[in-house]
Amino acid sequence: MGALRSHGLFGSFLEVAGEQPSRPAIVDNGTTVTYAELERLASEVARSAGPGVVGVPATHSAGTVAALLGVWAAGGTYCPVDPAFPETRRRAMLDAAGCRFLLGSGPLQGREVPAGLAYVLFTSGSTGAPKPVMTSHRAIEATIRSLRELFAMETGDRVLQFASLNWDTCFEEILPTLTGGACLVFHDDAHSGSFPRFLRMVERERITVLNLPTAFWHELVTYLADEKSGLPECVRLVVIGGEAANPARLTDWHALDTGRVRLLNTYGCTETTLITHAADLHGPYEKVPIGRRLPHVAERIGEDGELLIGGQAIADGYLGLPEATAARFVTIEGERYFRTGDRVGRTPGGMLVHRGRIDDELKVRGIRVDPAEVEAHIAAHPEVGAVAVTGLKMADHTVLAAYVVPRTSAGLGVDLRDYLRDRVPAHLIPSRIAIVPDLVYTASGKVDRRRTKEIPHER
Amino acid sequence: MSVDGVSDIFRRVLENDDIDAESDFFAFGGDSLLATRVLSAIARTYGVELTFDDFLLAPTPGTLAEKVLR
Repeated sequence: MGALRSHGLFGSFLEVAGEQPSRPAIVDNGTTVTYAELERLASEVARSAGPGVVGVPATHSAGTVAALLGVWAAGGTYCPVDPAFPETRRRAMLDAAGCRFLLGSGPLQGREVPAGLAYVLFTSGSTGAPKPVMTSHRAIEATIRSLRELFAMETGDRVLQFASLNWDTCFEEILPTLTGGACLVFHDDAHSGSFPRFLRMVERERITVLNLPTAFWHELVTYLADEKSGLPECVRLVVIGGEAANPARLTDWHALDTGRVRLLNTYGCTETTLITHAADLHGPYEKVPIGRRLPHVAERIGEDGELLIGGQAIADGYLGLPEATAARFVTIEGERYFRTGDRVGRTPGGMLVHRGRIDDELKVRGIRVDPAEVEAHIAAHPEVGAVAVTGLKMADHTVLAAYVVPRTSAGLGVDLRDYLRDRVPAHLIPSRIAIVPDLVYTASGKVDRRRTKEIPHER
Repeated sequence: MSVDGVSDIFRRVLENDDIDAESDFFAFGGDSLLATRVLSAIARTYGVELTFDDFLLAPTPGTLAEKVLR
């Protein structure tokens, strides 16, 4: 197996662990793991995993953080596979990522992948199969360097681990913390659904940094405004991202007793490695800005207003999908850029503002969803004649809605949601499924998703 | 009676008047974020602090109201 790799972010972690071995690296539901202990756990994983792409059944635990570091220590590539996903989906992911080993299980056939990859993560793909994004060590290292600065990380910080370890957002929490000598806190009360419980935990665990999906932050602000209360004193920074922040919630936020808390809006895609743009929010704004590019990022705005992102942190492309890669990763004047598909404008102050998509991609609870991916899965059911999937505004946030034309006049004899549960992750299952007589088509014969949702239907 | 009260909360959060005591929150388009609104409203109205796990086990106004009373 050879010696541990001491370069890159794992090298930075080792350096910190050498300087402060007995300080807490992780507190997981009250159990402390010191930097020295985490290093030891990571090297155990490194011995079993070996190089290549390693599938990790990622749970919300210190053990999975040790697995991430261990995979890197062995020179391998991390690929989280959510144990809550249906088995067919997990197998498709392991296969698409070319995993050579599934942690806790054993070797797999696997495939050769490009060198230097830190992780492979998936985004929604229009064919029904998720697209594996290849992110290099160079890219994640450049991003994390910017983020430590942006968050002003200090060794005294205690960062709540909110994001699932199956999504790339988790690296915004884990990596600046563990390469900055601070402490990462896992707690079940983070996801209990009860805000009083959440806030008591934040206070008890003395959390200083919260990185929350914007949709969750909207709910938190509504709760705090209703209760006329604020965040516990220990919180110094709240980072939000994942979808557009609601200007009305921001006004509510500023009316709370939270003036001392820094609020940072962030923007980025999996293909551009976590955060590329950020703004300290003051307001009021008509539209909340996504901010300015971070130091490691290059940007261009295309003729149609599309944001293109370049620089050190863009991904190497989609693994095994050269056509999809060529469509989104382009070379302009000798530099590589990723076409984000997001339309942006610039404020007089120089900040970027999001102005919608150039395609039909959606954000559902902060997760990117290509409606064509959900359509592909529903259309595969033998009783379905045609289907359109789109986003629906419900109670202030976006949910997925499917409009289904049955193949025969007998209608549908099945619950499509049950059918989907065995095939796709929960975030790809529409909240509403409506039976319609026909879809609406454009002049060129394509389904018009936006107009389809206006036709009357039975629930 | 708290079944009616909880049904009202469901209707308000899901913006749907068809909901009755047996309606499953998740079948009517509810998700984990909207569930936090129901839980906050229950805490405010009845002074009972429930969690998402309680909700998963009792996803209708009828069953959830039993947890409120207990």
